[in-house]
Amino acid sequence: MDASIKKIVARYPDEKSAIMPVMQHLQRENKNFLSEDAMDQAASVIGCSKSKVYGVATYYTMFNTQPVGKFHLQVDTCVPGFLHGADAVVEHLEKKLGIKAGETTKDGMFTLSRVQDLGSCATGPVIQVNDRYFENMTLAKTDALIEALKSGKEPENDPSMTVISKCGVLLNDRTQKDCRTIAFYKKNGGYQSLKKALTMKPADIIEEVKEAGVRGRGGAGFPAGMKWSFLPKNDSRPVYLICNADEGEPGTFKDRQIMEFNPHLVIEGIAISAHAINSKKAFIYIRGEFNWIADILDAAIEEAKKDGQLDNVDIVVHRGGGSYVCGDETAQIESLEGKRGNPRVKPPFPANSGLYGCPTVVNNVETLSSIPYIIQNGAAGYKKFGNPNNFGPKIFGVSGHVNKPGIFEYPMGTPLKEILEAAGGVKGKLKGVIVGGLSVAILTAQEAETLILDFDSCVKAGTALGSGGIMVVNDTVSIPELALRTIEFYHHESCGQCVPCREGSLVIEHKLHDLVHGKGKIEDIDLILHLTANIKGLTLCPTGEAFAVPIQAMVTKFRPEFEALVKR
Amino acid sequence: MSKTIIINGKECVFDGNKTVLQIARENGFYIPSLCYHEKLGPASKCRVCVVEVDGIRNLQTSCSTAATDGMKITTDSPRVLEAQRMVVNLLLANGNHNCMICEKNGDCELQDAAYHLGIELPAFVVEEHEDKDDSGAFIIRDGNKCIQCGRCIEACNRLVVNEVLDFGFRGGHTQVVCDGNKPMGDSSCVQCGECVQVCPVGALIEKKAVGKARSWEIQKVRTTCPYCGVGCQQELHLKGDQIVRVKGVEGAKPNDGHLCVKGRYGYDFIYSKERLTTPLIKKNGKFEEATWDEALDLVADKFKQIIKESGPDAIAGVSCARSTNEDSFYMQKLFRAAIGTNNIDHCART
Repeated sequence: MDASIKKIVARYPDEKSAIMPVMQHLQRENKNFLSEDAMDQAASVIGCSKSKVYGVATYYTMFNTQPVGKFHLQVDTCVPGFLHGADAVVEHLEKKLGIKAGETTKDGMFTLSRVQDLGSCATGPVIQVNDRYFENMTLAKTDALIEALKSGKEPENDPSMTVISKCGVLLNDRTQKDCRTIAFYKKNGGYQSLKKALTMKPADIIEEVKEAGVRGRGGAGFPAGMKWSFLPKNDSRPVYLICNADEGEPGTFKDRQIMEFNPHLVIEGIAISAHAINSKKAFIYIRGEFNWIADILDAAIEEAKKDGQLDNVDIVVHRGGGSYVCGDETAQIESLEGKRGNPRVKPPFPANSGLYGCPTVVNNVETLSSIPYIIQNGAAGYKKFGNPNNFGPKIFGVSGHVNKPGIFEYPMGTPLKEILEAAGGVKGKLKGVIVGGLSVAILTAQEAETLILDFDSCVKAGTALGSGGIMVVNDTVSIPELALRTIEFYHHESCGQCVPCREGSLVIEHKLHDLVHGKGKIEDIDLILHLTANIKGLTLCPTGEAFAVPIQAMVTKFRPEFEALVKR
Repeated sequence: MSKTIIINGKECVFDGNKTVLQIARENGFYIPSLCYHEKLGPASKCRVCVVEVDGIRNLQTSCSTAATDGMKITTDSPRVLEAQRMVVNLLLANGNHNCMICEKNGDCELQDAAYHLGIELPAFVVEEHEDKDDSGAFIIRDGNKCIQCGRCIEACNRLVVNEVLDFGFRGGHTQVVCDGNKPMGDSSCVQCGECVQVCPVGALIEKKAVGKARSWEIQKVRTTCPYCGVGCQQELHLKGDQIVRVKGVEGAKPNDGHLCVKGRYGYDFIYSKERLTTPLIKKNGKFEEATWDEALDLVADKFKQIIKESGPDAIAGVSCARSTNEDSFYMQKLFRAAIGTNNIDHCART
């Protein structure tokens, strides 16, 4: 086994967890192509069957089991990309390169692909070239990018967008060049909370977090302190903490703002939480597309270690391979164990039997990043933000048809109207808003008028706050087309394990495709509603609901638009 | 202590830890299920075995729901049947589920589910086709009929531990693959056929059985595999006096349905014209048919002669792998006690 592979394997308590990192390493070493030989090598290093490795490699989109061009141009055409004009970029590239999406130029320089959600919603259109992002692309900038790549120059990325932090808890001043360093972080009071927490009893920390009422920021809004308290007492097994950084819900790009610019905040939050739940080993499961952010986290962990901050916990950054479903906690655990990201049947719940069959807590980046503030300012300080049962600061991402898309750290309970104003107001005439990432019900312009952005208010309004990824849709957009984009995403991302999700998303995609292309029938609309009604609650994990709810809402609320597509 | 659950108003008594599906089956309730298999355990993937559980909002998969005392279950409400019908319709919508020419016709769990739920034709059709793989010596894989239940994969990895099959790709593209997506015939598969044994549909079928018989023409005869001393229990599927296929007997000792490639597929020899039907004795350099008495007398005479001339240790006994433990015991007894030698061995020893 060569030294670099040995090093990768050594980071994990169980070598099977190294399957993906080892394959990522072998792919990088071999022109971005994971050959059959490389997969066989991975199988023998890890000690598992060839079919197991093949199953893992073909589950995740980022493994190229077919050769790709020197530059793999991946254009995000999911809903936010669609709203930001990504289709025009694809068409432009097709013309310019003389190939269709999915093909490689004859000289082997470029492969062009349409991909699903890259988590760059406010800075779309975005093109991922191998593992680098190029954001805010226009057709002219696309031309310049291609020319630069052809001539071997290093092109620049422009990730600019509006950033407003009203709370100043989670986002830092990213305009400062050294904002990522531990020196900058400590200058602004960083790691003081950890110091304080380490003098506190774990039970007292859990109590404080419970009292603060911090609800999980991944989307479900489950109280974090309560999740921690489900861990079994007096158990001899090791406890694992997983920081869920697999931000993949279309419309969501909040966690990367913390990790990329304020990495020590996440690390401090993990260290405090690990102390609270008596975990000695923590993982940050970050989506593989955010490779450069993973590098930033790795560097920050090294810095923190050298500074003596991480004596109580070892943190490993684990890169995903391209899978939305791995944002689900049990799928994430499976993935971290080196398997296909198929969600597990619950019970048992991770608190009792999670990673390697041990007690495990999975918390979102934003949730964990709130912990230092709670320790420093107490539950009372945290509760200054927000409304009862919906406390704390919240990062909202606004993409789509607004004048100044971007990222907004506002208190929970802020009216949607205020956030949209901060985002420069709606571009054109508002048709609908999706406020919690793609998996929630769309609101009509009228419904959105008075919406308050917190968990409970959103439920009352017939939608969900989810991850706080707000997508604004104006009247230039056809809702049936939006619905088609939506189901294409979920069908692409379905793990394929259970029938209602795998086959249901396929049938709905076909029917919406037919409708959008003038081949649909009125019965198709009713069939879609029949399917969404029955799929809800019937699937093994929440993914079925994640598409049944938004599709049902789009069809119900905008039915005349669907009917108008049926030729009479 | 016995516990009780109520299924559709009927009190069902059970002992120990059981799932709702197990108790329902024991009490004669049919709940369609496709991914669950008794020896593989619950998978909760097909979602067709859902039932209503009093006090729980969502429908629950009966294969994975542990029964608790006093639980009230409904298996036949309009809500349950609508969900089950949708799932079966979805499965029929994709692929090529043409029963008319399918080997599994009459013995297919998907067909049974569709029949019981009153589905005559799939309500919506979306066809996506995969190639048939008939590269294996004895097994044909038909992706068009596969419902991705994963039973074959569990059987290959967990029961027989050959680790050939697994799921490849994702979502709607999910397929069962052999090794690194090789044709079965080029893979490390040893064709034990355990995957065929557990497949609920016509996605994995016996090559030798194709076109031989419809399921209702089959007579099933239980027997013991003649190949080795393990004594695996087989179920011969016969049409007339011809074997159409061989299945392992589920739930029977010692093999619980497993068979090896020989036991499952190596039955042609019984029809061989070269098969010996009487003992042969070589006379003047040529084998001639003889009776058992003649043959045994000859062997006994020769043994006696050798013992007389060279002593009993000039004789050795080797028992063959087909012998059962009991046969091997008698062999050593014969050689030690009757012949008087300790020269005994077994062909599988080396």
